[in-house]
Amino acid sequence: MNMNVVEASGLGKRYGGTWALRECTLAIPAGHVAALVGPNGAGKTTLLNLAVGLAEPSAGAVTVLGGRPAGSPAALDGIAFVAQDTPLYKNLSVADMLHVTRNLNRRFDQPYAQARLAELGIPLNRRAGKLSGGQQAQLALTLALARRPRLLLLDEPVAMLDPVARHDFMALMLTAAVDDGVSVLLSSHVLTELERVADYLILLSRGRVQVAGEVDDLLASHRVLTGPAAEAGRYAERPVVHVRRGETQAHLLVRADADDPVPPGWEAYPVGLEELALAYLREPGAVALPGPVRGQALPLDTGEPSEVTR
Amino acid sequence: MTTLTVPARPEQDASLRPVPWRRMAWVTWRQHRFALAGVAALLGALAVWLWLEGLHAHHAYAAAANCHPASSGACGTLVGYFLTYVSTAQTIAIVLQAVPALIGAFVGAPVLAREMETGTFRYAWTQGFGRWRWTLAKLVPLAIAVAAAGGAFSVLFSWYYQPFFAQTLSFNAQVPLDAGVFDLRGVAFAAWTLAAFAIGALAGMLIRRVVTALAATLAVYTGLALAAGLYLREHYLTPLLVKNANPPRFAWVISQQWYAKGGQPVSQSALSQVLQQGAPQLAGGKGGIPQDDPTVNQYLAQHGYTLWTTYQPGSRFWPFQWIEGGWLLALSVLLIAATVWLVRRRAA
Amino acid sequence: MYSDQHLRVSDAERKAASGQLAEHFAAGRLDQAEFDDRVGRAISAKTRGDLRGLFADLSETGAPTVPELPRGGGGSPGDGPRGPGSPIEFRLDAASGVPTYLQLVHQVEHALRLGYLTLGDQLPKVRDVVASLAINPNTVLKAYKELETKGLTAGRPGQGTFIQATLSQVALPELAGLRKALLGWLTAADGAGLDEDGMVALFTSALRDFHERRSGSRTRGGAASSETEGVA
Repeated sequence: MNMNVVEASGLGKRYGGTWALRECTLAIPAGHVAALVGPNGAGKTTLLNLAVGLAEPSAGAVTVLGGRPAGSPAALDGIAFVAQDTPLYKNLSVADMLHVTRNLNRRFDQPYAQARLAELGIPLNRRAGKLSGGQQAQLALTLALARRPRLLLLDEPVAMLDPVARHDFMALMLTAAVDDGVSVLLSSHVLTELERVADYLILLSRGRVQVAGEVDDLLASHRVLTGPAAEAGRYAERPVVHVRRGETQAHLLVRADADDPVPPGWEAYPVGLEELALAYLREPGAVALPGPVRGQALPLDTGEPSEVTR
Repeated sequence: MTTLTVPARPEQDASLRPVPWRRMAWVTWRQHRFALAGVAALLGALAVWLWLEGLHAHHAYAAAANCHPASSGACGTLVGYFLTYVSTAQTIAIVLQAVPALIGAFVGAPVLAREMETGTFRYAWTQGFGRWRWTLAKLVPLAIAVAAAGGAFSVLFSWYYQPFFAQTLSFNAQVPLDAGVFDLRGVAFAAWTLAAFAIGALAGMLIRRVVTALAATLAVYTGLALAAGLYLREHYLTPLLVKNANPPRFAWVISQQWYAKGGQPVSQSALSQVLQQGAPQLAGGKGGIPQDDPTVNQYLAQHGYTLWTTYQPGSRFWPFQWIEGGWLLALSVLLIAATVWLVRRRAA
Repeated sequence: MYSDQHLRVSDAERKAASGQLAEHFAAGRLDQAEFDDRVGRAISAKTRGDLRGLFADLSETGAPTVPELPRGGGGSPGDGPRGPGSPIEFRLDAASGVPTYLQLVHQVEHALRLGYLTLGDQLPKVRDVVASLAINPNTVLKAYKELETKGLTAGRPGQGTFIQATLSQVALPELAGLRKALLGWLTAADGAGLDEDGMVALFTSALRDFHERRSGSRTRGGAASSETEGVA
C-alpha cells in the first residue's frame, strides 16, 4: 500500500487569537508507527483532533487514508482514536462498552475484543470506572482495535501509566500493527519511550512541524561532529542544526550522510533520536522535512560559549 | 525501508451505507436509563397521589353537588368537606408547574453537557456513527419519550382537576384558561416538557457543564413560562369585550376597566372619590373601590360609568391549547435543530 | 540423570563445550595450559561421557550443560527444528545505546556461538518478539534482514526465519593464539600508562574504524573513511 495515512497541507488551527498549529504540511506513509513529539502546547493534540474531525481547520486541510476528508463518514469508518485520558463511559460495564462500540460502528470484531480482554485479565462485568488506569487504557485500545481500523491515532496514551502498563499497552498496539497492518500515529511529550516503538518521527514545536521523516533516514542523515571549538566556525556553510560548545571543545549536530568525509581532527558520532529531537527543539529555525534541505547557517563565531560543557 | 504492511481485510468500500439509525436505540437507552427512570418515578409517584386524591375529591364533589336541598345544613357540611380539597388542588397545581422544567432539565441538559464535561465526546464522535447523527438519534427519542410521559400525566391531571372547575357550588372556581392550570392540561403540558428538554439540550451543548447547563435551563424555562403565562397567552386571539361585570361562564377574565361617559378610562382613585361623595356607605378603602360588588357596580352604572371586561371565552380553551402547543413544538424543533447544527459545526 | 555416557557427540556439542571451557578460563578457574589441554580433549571427544568428564571439577556457569542441550535424535548436525517455537528469547537493554536491531543481531550471533541455536532452528516470530519486547516490527525485520545478509539465516515464506549457517569457525588453537596476542597488547598498553578505561576507549575506537573500513569496502567499493588510527 503506497497511500499516505495522513496528509495535511498548510493546515492551521486558531483558537481566539492564538494559532495552535500553523502551516502544517505532512504526508505520513502507511505501514508505519509514527510518533508525534513535541513539548506541551506544541500542537500535538490539535493536530490529532483535526485529523479525526473533532476540530475544524482554520486554514488548510487534512485528509486521512488516502484522501478521505477528516471527519467524514468514510474517514471515521477507517480510523480509530483514543484521546488523552482514554475517555470511557465510567458507569458502563466493560461488556456494555463493547456493546456500545459495536452498535456505533460498521465493523466490530467481538471475538477479538473478548479474547484480548481475557488475555489482559479485564473482567467483562466490571464497571469501566472501577478498572485501574492501565486497564482503562487497555480497554480503550482494545475497543479501538476491534473496529479493525486502518489507522489508529493515540493522544498521549501512556502518559499516566506505570512502566508495566505502558509496556503492555505498547505490546498490544504493536502486535496489532504486525498482525493487521494497522498504521499508527501516536503523540507523546516523552521521547525516550517512543524510540523503540516508532519508525516515523514528526516533531512539532510551537505549532509548526520541525522534523518529519523516517527514523532510519533521519538518524542516517545526521551525525555529531566533535572537535576543537576554535574550528567550529569553519562549518558555517554546512547545514548545522545545533552547536554545543565549551571553551576548547564543540559538538556540532550536522546534517551529513555516513559517507561524507569527516574533517581531520574531528570525530563523528552517530546520533540518537532523543539527542536529535532535543537539538531541533532548541533551534526553532531548523527544520528537517522531506524535500529540499532547509538547514540553517548558525552564527558560530560569536566567541562565546553557547552551552558550556566542561 | 521495507514497511510492514499486511493488507487489511478486503476493503469495504468508501461508498458506505451509514450505520443504521436503530443501533443507537440501545445506546441511548443504556446511557440515559437512569434519567428516564427518574422521570418515571417522579411522574409515577405524582400520578399515584393524584389518583388517590382525585378519587376522594370526585366523591366529595359528587356528594356535595347531588345534595338536596342545597341550602340545608347537611349539604352545607358536604360542600365544606369538598372545599377542603380545593385548596390542596390549587397548591398542587402550583407545584406541578415545576415538573416540565425539572424533567426537561434533568433529561435534556446532560445529554450533551456530560459528554463534553467528561470528555467522552472524543470517543463518541469518532465512532463510525457520525456525530450529528448520534446527536439526533439521541435527542429525538428522548424528546418523544418525555413529551409522551408528560402527555399521559396531563390526562390524569385533567381528570383530577375536573371537580374544581365546577361552577355549581359557591366557591371561586378556576377556569380552564387560568394561567395556573392551563399549562398542565391538554397538549400544553407535553409541549412545555418538550420545550424544556430542547432548551436543556441546547444549553448543554453551549455551556458544556452539566450543573451550569441545568441551572441555565431552569432559568430560561422559567422566564419563558412567565412570559407566556403573563403576556403571550392573553393575546393568542383578540380578546372579547363585554359591557358589564359578568362575562359568560368559564370565561377567563383578563382585565376590567371603568370608562366615564365620554369614553375615557377612569382610575380607581377617581371612582373612589365619586363614591365618597355620593354614597359613602359603599366606598371602600382609600384609593380603591370594592371589586365585584353588585351594589357598587349598579350605583356607578346609574351615574354614567361603564365597566368593560376583557376576557377570553372558555370555548377558546382548545384553540389556545393548539396555538400554545404549536409554537412550543416549533420552538423545540428549532432548538433541537440548532443543537444538532452546533454539534456538526463545532466541537473540540 | 539418565545414563547416556556412551552416546556420541556432534560437532556442535563439541563446540559448545569449548565455549564453556573458554568461559571457565575467562573466569579464572583454569589456567592457560589447562585450558589448552581441555579444549584439545573436547575437540577430540567421542562420547558424552568424554565431554562431561572435562567439567567434573567445574561449577555451573549458568549455561546449560552438555547433557541438557536438547538435541533431536542422534545428535547429528542438520537435524530439524526441535519443536514448535524458537529456542531463544530476545532481551533488550534500553540503556546500552546500541541500536535495537543490532542488539537482536548480536544476540542471535551470540546464541549461535554458545550453542543455544543450531542449524535449522527457527528464530522467534516477528509477532512474538514485538509482543514480548514492545518494539517496532520493522526493527525486528531489519535485524532479521541483516542476519540474512550475513548469510546466517534464511526466511521460509509462511513459516518463519531459520538458521542456515553457523558462525565461521575459528580454530581453537587460533583462538588461543589471538588471546595470547591480546594479552600482550594489554601488557604494552598498561606499560604505556593507559588505565582500563583508556584501553577500552582505544579498542572501541579502533574497532569502529575497522568496522567502517570493512563495511565501506563491502558496500561502497572502498570509499574513503576516517583515518583515525589507533595507536598501539
